[in-house]
Amino acid sequence: MEKQTPIIVTENVKKTYEDNGVEVRAVRGVDLTISAGEFTAIVGPSGSGKTTFLNIISGLDTLTSGRVVLNGKPLSDIKGSELSDFRRDHIGFIFQAYNLIPVLTVEENVEYIMLLQGVPKAERHKRVMEILADVGLREYAQRLPAKLSGGQQQRVAVARAMVSNPDLILADEPTANLDSKTGSELLDMMKELNEKKGMTFLFSTHDEMIMKRARRVITLKDGIVAADVLKK
Amino acid sequence: MIMWKIALRNIIRQKRRSILTALSMFGGFVLAAFFIGFSDGTYNGIIDTFTRSQTGHIQVHAKDYLAHPSLYKTIDRPAEIEKILEQMDKVDSWTPRLYSAGLASVGEKSAGVRIIGIDPEREVLTTKFAEKVISGSMFAAEDAHAVMIGKGLAKLLHAVVNEDVVIVSQAADGSIANDRYKVVGILESGDEISDRSSFYLPLAAAQELLVMGARVHEIALTVRSLLDVAPLREILEKKIRVGEANLSVEPWQVFARSFYIAMQADKAGMWITLLIIVLVVAVGVLNTVLMSVLERRREYGVLKAVGTKPGQIIEMVLLEVNILGVICIVLGTAVGLLLNYIFSIHGISMSEPMTYGGIKFQHMFTEINARSFIIPAVTVLLSATLVGFFPALKAARTDPARAMRIH
Repeated sequence: MEKQTPIIVTENVKKTYEDNGVEVRAVRGVDLTISAGEFTAIVGPSGSGKTTFLNIISGLDTLTSGRVVLNGKPLSDIKGSELSDFRRDHIGFIFQAYNLIPVLTVEENVEYIMLLQGVPKAERHKRVMEILADVGLREYAQRLPAKLSGGQQQRVAVARAMVSNPDLILADEPTANLDSKTGSELLDMMKELNEKKGMTFLFSTHDEMIMKRARRVITLKDGIVAADVLKK
Repeated sequence: MIMWKIALRNIIRQKRRSILTALSMFGGFVLAAFFIGFSDGTYNGIIDTFTRSQTGHIQVHAKDYLAHPSLYKTIDRPAEIEKILEQMDKVDSWTPRLYSAGLASVGEKSAGVRIIGIDPEREVLTTKFAEKVISGSMFAAEDAHAVMIGKGLAKLLHAVVNEDVVIVSQAADGSIANDRYKVVGILESGDEISDRSSFYLPLAAAQELLVMGARVHEIALTVRSLLDVAPLREILEKKIRVGEANLSVEPWQVFARSFYIAMQADKAGMWITLLIIVLVVAVGVLNTVLMSVLERRREYGVLKAVGTKPGQIIEMVLLEVNILGVICIVLGTAVGLLLNYIFSIHGISMSEPMTYGGIKFQHMFTEINARSFIIPAVTVLLSATLVGFFPALKAARTDPARAMRIH
């Protein structure tokens, strides 16, 4: 089998926090390697540490001990506003609740990250239109998110996550707010984009549809990896 | 640019909150603009009335006369100075004066008086002297034996119009100066203390009584605008060569010092009132902006998650507050201008007249000037930025992971 470039390497990652005076050990030592182009799902019941783990590898949350290396760079080496730049340039997010900026149009939402990156206007417009065509929303470019259905909003979120070609796309329960038909269509589209563009997708989910489509399924239970299955 | 776009659209999106925030800023701006315009109008009106009624805006004396007045500290060639004043555009008018002290008596009544020699024609052009006559009439410049006395002095001496008054003083040559004058007019200046001793003679008669020749103690002048006082004084100092001539040129703030101090104390009170207005506005703005930020924590969390820097979030919140501030300033300027214009024409009538420097003021007028709008504009923008900074910091510190768990 061809050796893939590792995008994420986690070494003995642990996260403990206090909740109302009670110590919660959310992640208890996770060692994982996610390679470029993977379409991987982290699954597990509620409270298994999936979201906390995703937050840690994206730099949204700090770890208590261990090490996370994203595309060769240890996250612990990145401080302050560099972390914002790092997220902006290397990670795309898809959230359960879409989380689009309500006052920006579809086009503006998708181009927002490129604006922060300082991408020239013509280039931004070209890339936004291409990705909107990929997700089937080109004709909705000037609409506000509130004027779109849930499925359409999540497709905008996918476009926003992918438009700047990040190393990794983290999707936290992306189908949880969608009906099964819309969710299924969205996942097919993401899978197609993964295959077409070679982008790395890491899902946190307990949705059977995602598990079915994922090439690798990692099961977290009580903050540790209980199973790691690579489908043939 | 995107931050401007988001800020502007957030203002439109949260209409009710934006209107509430804007109302406190707009209200504060208009109130402050009116308050400054009103107090500037009032104070400048009082200063102008006081100086035009009594002292003039600028006075020329012999050096050190104001600190230590003396019969011998005189302006020896007043005609030369008057010639210079005639050529100065911004000088409204001027009048020479001569001062001394003496003892006046009518029958068996006598009182210490302040002899004031005035040129009646120039005095009425420069001050509101003619308006103070409550009985009798003005004397003419060439009247050699006419006197006008203050109301209080007339009461002390039991003197009435057409009664003879005898004055005894010391002349500049050391001789006893004495003469008899007929009371042609009685004055009420509003300043009771001064009215108890005022003894006005035509300048020529006073110079003759006191053997002063053409010398005077003071030339008081009025200028077109109070703003001209300082620059005109400097020009005049140079033109009459105060050093060589051993003269001094002083503004009203120096020779009417106690009046000036009273004005300054009152103006300090204005700033305190202004500060209270600012505080009320600031609390209103803080409340609405903080609520708005707390409501949008999730959005800030998303913005941070996708790579927006904390500084950019601060910029976004402050932009929102300041865009609202600018809109309020533009609208407030229009309303404030209208208010200040209306009250600059019609004024505000006081139920009880105010008394300053012995002058009663019944009507107060606003003034339309740039500072009435610049000070509130700067105050609104500065306080909005300052007050908005705390919520902005709170927004910038949003923990994205936690904020996005809020549904």
